[in-house]
Amino acid sequence: MSGRARVRARGMARSPGALAGECTQASPSVPRMLMPSDLSDSEASFSGGMEGTSRISQNCDKSVSSGDVGSTFVEKVVKVRRDYVDLGVCTRAKLAHVRDSKTGSSGIPVKLATNLFNLDLPQDWQLYQYHVTYIPDLASRRLRIALLYNHSRLSDHAKAFDGTILFLSQKLEEKVTELSTETQRGETVKMTVTLTRELPSSSPMCIQVFNIIFKKILKKLSMYQIGRNFYKPSEPVEIPQHKLSLWPGFAVSVSHFERKLLFVADVSYKVLRNETVLEFMTDLCYKIGTSCFIQTCEQQLIGLIVLTRYNNKTYRIDDIDWSVKPTCTFQRRDGSEITYVDYYKQQYNITLSDLNQPVLVSLLKSRRNDNTEPKIVHLMPELCFLTGLAGQVTSDFQLMKAVAEEIRLSPLGRQQRLARLVDDIQRNKDARFELETWGLHFGSQMSLTGRVVPSEKILMQDHVCQPMSAADWSKDIRTCKILSVQSLNKWLIVCSNRAENVIDGFLSCLRRVGSSMGFNVGYPKIIKVQENVAAFLRAIQQHVDLDVQLVMCILPSNQNYYDCIKKYLSSDCPVPSQCVLSRTLNKQGMMMSIATKIALQMSCKLGGELWAVEIPLKSLMVAGIDVCKDKFSKQMVVVGFVASLNPRITRWFSRCILQRTTTDIADCLKVFMTGALKEWYKHNHDFPARIIVYRDGVGDGQLKAVIEYEVPQLLSSVAESGSKISSRLSVIVVRKKCLPRFFTEMDRTVQNAPLGTVVDSEATRPEWYDFYLISQAAYRGTVRPTHYNVIYDDNGLKPDHMQRLTFKLCHLYYNWQGLISIPAPCQYAHKLTYLVAQSIHKEPNLELASYLYYL
Amino acid sequence: MTFKRVTESNMDDVGCFSSEMGRTRGFCLVAPDFLIQSLRDISEFFVSRRLGDKMEEKNMQVADLGCGDTELLRLLKIYPCIQLLVGVDIDEEKLQSNGHHLSPFLGEFVKPRDLDLTVTLYHGSVVERDSRLLGFDLITCIELIEHLDSDHLARFPEVVFGYLSPAMIVISTPNSEFNPLFPIVTLRDADHKFEWNRMEFQTWALQVANRYNYSVEFTGVGKPPAGAEHVGFCTQIGVFWRNSGGAPGPCVSQQHDQHVYKAVYTVSYPSLQQERVLKFELVSEVLLQVERLRLWHLRTLREQKRGAGTVPKEPSVAPSLMLDLFTEAEKARIENSPKPFCEGSRFFVPLQRLLAYPRLHRLPVDEERMRSLLADSVCLSSDGSAVKVDLRNTWDWEPDDY
Repeated sequence: MSGRARVRARGMARSPGALAGECTQASPSVPRMLMPSDLSDSEASFSGGMEGTSRISQNCDKSVSSGDVGSTFVEKVVKVRRDYVDLGVCTRAKLAHVRDSKTGSSGIPVKLATNLFNLDLPQDWQLYQYHVTYIPDLASRRLRIALLYNHSRLSDHAKAFDGTILFLSQKLEEKVTELSTETQRGETVKMTVTLTRELPSSSPMCIQVFNIIFKKILKKLSMYQIGRNFYKPSEPVEIPQHKLSLWPGFAVSVSHFERKLLFVADVSYKVLRNETVLEFMTDLCYKIGTSCFIQTCEQQLIGLIVLTRYNNKTYRIDDIDWSVKPTCTFQRRDGSEITYVDYYKQQYNITLSDLNQPVLVSLLKSRRNDNTEPKIVHLMPELCFLTGLAGQVTSDFQLMKAVAEEIRLSPLGRQQRLARLVDDIQRNKDARFELETWGLHFGSQMSLTGRVVPSEKILMQDHVCQPMSAADWSKDIRTCKILSVQSLNKWLIVCSNRAENVIDGFLSCLRRVGSSMGFNVGYPKIIKVQENVAAFLRAIQQHVDLDVQLVMCILPSNQNYYDCIKKYLSSDCPVPSQCVLSRTLNKQGMMMSIATKIALQMSCKLGGELWAVEIPLKSLMVAGIDVCKDKFSKQMVVVGFVASLNPRITRWFSRCILQRTTTDIADCLKVFMTGALKEWYKHNHDFPARIIVYRDGVGDGQLKAVIEYEVPQLLSSVAESGSKISSRLSVIVVRKKCLPRFFTEMDRTVQNAPLGTVVDSEATRPEWYDFYLISQAAYRGTVRPTHYNVIYDDNGLKPDHMQRLTFKLCHLYYNWQGLISIPAPCQYAHKLTYLVAQSIHKEPNLELASYLYYL
Repeated sequence: MTFKRVTESNMDDVGCFSSEMGRTRGFCLVAPDFLIQSLRDISEFFVSRRLGDKMEEKNMQVADLGCGDTELLRLLKIYPCIQLLVGVDIDEEKLQSNGHHLSPFLGEFVKPRDLDLTVTLYHGSVVERDSRLLGFDLITCIELIEHLDSDHLARFPEVVFGYLSPAMIVISTPNSEFNPLFPIVTLRDADHKFEWNRMEFQTWALQVANRYNYSVEFTGVGKPPAGAEHVGFCTQIGVFWRNSGGAPGPCVSQQHDQHVYKAVYTVSYPSLQQERVLKFELVSEVLLQVERLRLWHLRTLREQKRGAGTVPKEPSVAPSLMLDLFTEAEKARIENSPKPFCEGSRFFVPLQRLLAYPRLHRLPVDEERMRSLLADSVCLSSDGSAVKVDLRNTWDWEPDDY
C-alpha cells in the first residue's frame, strides 16, 4: 500500500463513512486559533504543548488541544518532553571504571571557547511542584489558570501553570494550601494546592521548566518558534533570485551539564521558499506536463513542511487529496457545514482564487495520548508556503551555493551572533524580570580545556605516512601502494553510443592510476547500448556471468538508471558495480583525480584494503549501525550494520534489513551480530576478544530504548556465539547533531578547534560516560563536534583509549582520503542504508556482504 | 440590517453559557465561540456599514477602548484597509501578556500586506484624553460602560464623543432583561456597576447622541431562546455615527499633543509600502512569471518539434487547476502587451508584459520604478525594457528522459 493509500485507509478506519466521512472529520487547519486558551500561551503546558514541538509534528502552538475541554485533566500525568527524557537515563552509574573519572589524559591541552553560558542559581534552589484541584471542578483550562493567577496569595511568586500542575520557585508555607476565590459571577471556587514534589535544579522536569522560561524570553525578543528553534522573520536575509528568504535564529537549550546548569545557543537559519504550494504545483505542471503530474507532485511534496499564511503553524504534508476542492464543505466544531472558500473568507478575510486546487492533508499527532488516531487537517495549497530545502531544489547548484554562502558562518561570525543574543536578553526589561523572579542569573560565556590527541600515521603497503594534514592525505599517499587488492581481469563497461568517445581516454587513465597504486586493471569488455534504462539492463543481464568481477556503467544524467542498475546488481544478480556519470568523464582537466577516486572505489568493491592505522588492541571487532527511512514508504526503516572482519580493521562485513516500524529502534541486531561473528570466525579461526559497536541514528528520547532493546540483542548474540571466552562488548551512541561548539581564541579572533580535539569535561553530562571529538575539518564555516556516549562497556578501556580508538576509526573510511566526522563503520552503515533506502528498496544479496559494494 | 442578519443566524443556544458565566466582558468565557462570533460580527458589521462599497478606502484608524484580551483587535487586523489599530485598557499586565498575539503571523513576512499596519496598545483610562486617538474612523467600547462608576460614566461621553469624536462609535452593554434566563440571577460580572435594560440604555444613548450631534441605531447579539423573545438580545449594542453637519472634530486649541497614555506594546507589519519588502516581492513575482513563460515557451517548442507544428492553444493541464484564471479585462491587457521573444539562447520578457499580469499589476510600481528595483537582482536586456534569462537551464526536467 502506498503511503497515500495508507493515510486514506486510516481516515476511513475511524469513520466508516469513507470519503465523505473523511471530509467531515478533517478540519481546515485549526479553526480555533483564536480560542481563549490560546491566551495562556505564555503559560507553561507540560504535557501537551511541549510534545507538540517535537520533530515530527513541528506544530509549535498548543491551541489545537485547547478545544477539548474535558475529562483528561484528572488522569493527566506530567510528561517530560523527549529531549529531556534522555537526560534521565543514567548509564554512567553502571560503569564502575568511569564512575570517578571519565577524562582522558593524552594529547596537548588546549583552551577552548564555547557557545555555552553559565546560568547561575542560588545554592539551595529548588522547584516545587504542586497539584491544583478546583471545587466545583472547572472544565475551562483558561478559567482555571486565570483564577489561580489572579489570586493575591500567589501574585508575587514566579510560577508556571498548565491548569493542573503548578510550579513555583518558592515553597508555600503549608503542604496543602486552600485558596478561595470568587468568579466574576460571584460563585465561590475553592482551589486546593497540594505539594507533590520538590525537584532539584538538575531534574529533567526542572530543565523543562527552564526551557519554557527561555521560550518566553525569546518570544519577548520578537522571535517566533518554528519547530524547536526560534527565528526572527523581521530581519530576513533575502535571495530573490532563488525565491528564498532565510530567517536568522537560534537553537537554544538549557540543561544540566557536567558541573552546572548551562544555557547553550547555536545560530540557525530557517529557509523559506517564497512560493506557495499552489505556485509550486503550477510550475511543476508547466515543466513536466500532465502525464505523470500527480505522481511527481506527490513525490516532491509529501514530507515537506509548509507554513500557513494565516497563523504561525507549520505542518507536514502527509498526503494530497485530489478529490477535495475548496468548494467542498467540512463540519465545523459546532456541527455546521461550511465550504473551505467561505471558511477562509469569514475567518481570515482571505479569498481563495483557485477553486480547483486539491487539498494538502496533514496528520496531527495527538499530544494528550499517543494511542489516539492522528487528527486529519486539510490545507489549501494556495495558503501554504514551502519551507526548508528538500527535493528537487537541492539539485539546483546555484541555489544551494547562494544559500550556503549566507548560512555558513565563520567561528567569529557565530560568536558575534551569540554575543548579540545574550546582549538582547540582558537588555530586555521583561526578559530580565522573568529571569530574576525565577532566581536565575545569566552569566558569562564559558571556556574550558580540551585536549588535542596525537595525530595518526597512515599505514600503506610499504610505506608509513605521516600526513601533512589529517583532513586530506590524498597528496601524501599519491605515490604509495594500497595494502592489497586482487587484479581486475574480467569486467564490463556498459555505455551509451554517445559516451563512446570518452571511454578510451578514461580507461587509459584508470589503468595508469591503478598500476601506480598497485591495482591491476585489465581491459574490459565494452558494451554499447541505446540510451534508455531497459537497454542498459538488458545488456547487463546478457553479459554478466559468474566470472564477471565488476560492472561499470557510464550513465546519462538520470537517477532512474542508477536506481534500476543498483537494484539489479545488488540484489537480483550480485556483482559489484560502479556507476559513473558520462558528464563526469567530460571534465577534461580533472581526469586524473576522477580516475584515482574511481580506481579506489573499484578496488574497495572488489574486497581491496586501501590503508590502515595502528590498532593497539589485538582481536578487536568494531561495528557501526545506522538507520534510514525508506524514500518511498515512510513506514519502512532501513537498518544497516557493518562490522570489521580482521584485527587490522580493513575488511568489512555488512548486513541490511528493511524493517516495518514507526520508531528507529532496530530489532534485527541479533541476526546481524551473529552473522558478523560467524564471518569473523571464518577469517580468524577464533572469536574477537572485544567488540565495540558505534550506533548512529538515535533520535531524541530513544536512548532508553536503545539500552533496553538493542544492547540485550547484541549481548545475547555474543553469549550464544559458542566462544569459550565470551567477547566483551561496548556500545557507543554517536550523535552528529549536538549543540555545543568549540573554538580556539587567537589574536582576538576565533577559530575552529583543531582536528583531534577531545572535550570530556564541563560540556559533557554527569550522568553519562560521554565525550566530544572533532574529527573533521571545516575549511569555511564552523566545525561541529561529534558527541559520543558510551552506554554499555564491558571492555573497561580507559577513557583515554576509548577516545583515541574512536579517533583512529575516523581515519578508515575508504571513500575519502582523510578524516571524517564519525567512525568509519558508522559511515559505511550510513552509506549502505542510504543506498538501500534511496535505490534498492529491498535487502541486498548476502553474497556481497563482505565487500564494500555500497560505496 | 446587515448586523442583525448576521447575528440572528448564530448564537441560538443560550444554554451553552448557563453553566459558567464569564469574567472579563460579561459575554462569557466558557462560550468562546459566542464571544468570538460576536466580536467577529461587530467587526464584520463595521466594515460593511462603515465602508459600504468603499472597501477600497485606505488608511483607516480604529481604536478599541477597554480592549482587554485584545480579541477584537486580533479580528480587526485582518482587514487590509486598516492601517492603525489601537487598544486601550487599564489593565497593564493584560496588555503586556497579550501584546504578542497581535504581532504579524509568520506568513505575513512571506506574503506581506499591501498597506502598512501599526498596532499599538496603550495603558490608560477611557476617561482620560489622549490626542493620539484623535481623528479615528471607529472607536469600539465593547462591554465597557457597565464597568464605569457613575462619575466615570458621566465623563465618558465627553471624552469619547466630545473630544475624540470619531466618525463612528460602537458601544455594547449587557441587557438586564435577559438576565432572568440565567440560572443565577445577579449581575453578570462582579465588577459590573450596573446592568441596564433596553430602555435605560437607549435613553442614555439617545441623549449622548443628541448632545454631541451623532445618530444612533440599536441592535444586539445573542438571540433569546424560543418563547423568551420578548427579553431581546443578550447584549445590546448602540451604533453611533457622527452627523455630517456636526462638529468637524476637536477644535485647534485642543489639538496640541496630550500624551497621557503609556504605550505598552507596538508593532509594525511588513508591507509593500516599504521599499525593501516591495523589492523582494517584485523580484520574486517577476522571476516566477518569467520562469512560467520560459517553461511555457520550451513546451511549445517541444510540442512543435514532436507534433509537426500543432501548437497547443493554452497549456492543457489535466487536473484542470492551477492555471492563472484571468478575467476578460486581464486577458486583454496581457494580449495587448509586448510578447516574450527569443534571441539565440536567450529568452526575453518585456517589463510591460510582466506588468500586465495581475499579480504584478497589483503592485504599486510603474515600468520605470520596476526597472530600478530589479536592476541589481535581475538581468535586463541592454535597453532595460525586458528581463533576460537563459532559455534552458541545466536542471530543466526533460520529460523525454522518462
